[in-house]
Amino acid sequence: MRSPVNWALLGLVIQRPSYGYELVQRFERTYGEALELSSPSQIYSALDALARHRLIEKLPKQELEPGVRQPKPHYRATARGTRDYEQWLICQLQEERRRSRLFAQQLAVLAPQAALGVLERCEEACLKQASAVAPEAASGEAWREDASRLTARLVSEEDRLAIGAKLSWIEYARRELTALTTKRSGPR
Amino acid sequence: MSLLELERVGRSVRQGAHERVVLRDVSLQLESGELLAVWGVRHSGRSMLLRVAAGIEPADSGVVRFAGQALSARCGEMLGKGIAYCSNAAGSGEAHEVLDELMMGQLARGVPRALSRARAVAALERAGAERCGARASHELDRAEAVRVRIAGALVLAPSLLVIEEPTRAVDLLERDAILALLRSLADEGLAVLMSAGEATALSGADRALALTNGVLRGSVTPELAPVLTLRARARA
Repeated sequence: MRSPVNWALLGLVIQRPSYGYELVQRFERTYGEALELSSPSQIYSALDALARHRLIEKLPKQELEPGVRQPKPHYRATARGTRDYEQWLICQLQEERRRSRLFAQQLAVLAPQAALGVLERCEEACLKQASAVAPEAASGEAWREDASRLTARLVSEEDRLAIGAKLSWIEYARRELTALTTKRSGPR
Repeated sequence: MSLLELERVGRSVRQGAHERVVLRDVSLQLESGELLAVWGVRHSGRSMLLRVAAGIEPADSGVVRFAGQALSARCGEMLGKGIAYCSNAAGSGEAHEVLDELMMGQLARGVPRALSRARAVAALERAGAERCGARASHELDRAEAVRVRIAGALVLAPSLLVIEEPTRAVDLLERDAILALLRSLADEGLAVLMSAGEATALSGADRALALTNGVLRGSVTPELAPVLTLRARARA
């Protein structure tokens, strides 16, 4: 199962059992621009796919709210679903590493001068992104506050650290490339 | 006219028989109410840039102007007269009470005792360090020490605060509160120029610049908000 929407949806079902329409809303609220649905119906086909892979299952009818005449089918995660989701998260780190390495390889294909130009523009973008994150002071009582605020802080810290790593890498790459250009153009 | 202007500033330092270029042709402008963060690794020239901008160190070439006036070779003349500078060096380690330390500079300038005390108390409060007043400076943790230094700067009612690495070695969960404090000071009209060794400290800045090997990159002039033409009000 490769679709990031499926995995993201599985995460929401793990968070708490739910039904289609509510999941569409939670999906949009939680992931926002980071992961957009092509249409709400994507959630329903994703639920089917997850159920087919036995990562989620329908809640038995007696566990649904009593008195509701037409209960909506609620889904919950299976033990396998939770385990696979965690495993998938760990694999995502490798995926991220792969993408960063690919970026370095694709940059190295360019002539040093052109690569330096690209680096400069990347650096500018990184600096803009780094300052665009608003600092949000932790209250020191994370257990008291809304989970969404904690999530927002975790997301922003991940962003900031990743940008920092990129800036340091750009600095290193610039030195290497500059050394290369001065060697090439300098006297023997 | 910008509050602070650096125009093609160059600076070298002697290291034994060698001369090392620390700042190369650095230009930048900073307006009141702006928070400008300069990111750089060690030996990038970030501390020198701040010291030259604050008029503590002279520039070898180029000009530094504060409120339209060129900072002359008489170093440090604007400190306390519009420019406040906070270094990140460890404190004196002396056992003075924080409140006394904040009053000393003012008393030396002839400010009456009661007034200097009131200003020190207000500055500590503004910097979120009101609980530190009665403590000795060597008893403070890193975040408290930074807040106290900011208070020490605010006492002098500067229009430009130059602060070196305000979040260095600060506990992770305290870091953003300090950045938010600097942001709020800028929102009140203070111009803030800060350096940072980690990109996490750039958050909340109006502009972030990178300094590498004495070369400054990024938007060195303020990005003015686009001018919006007001829509003509529909006639009733």
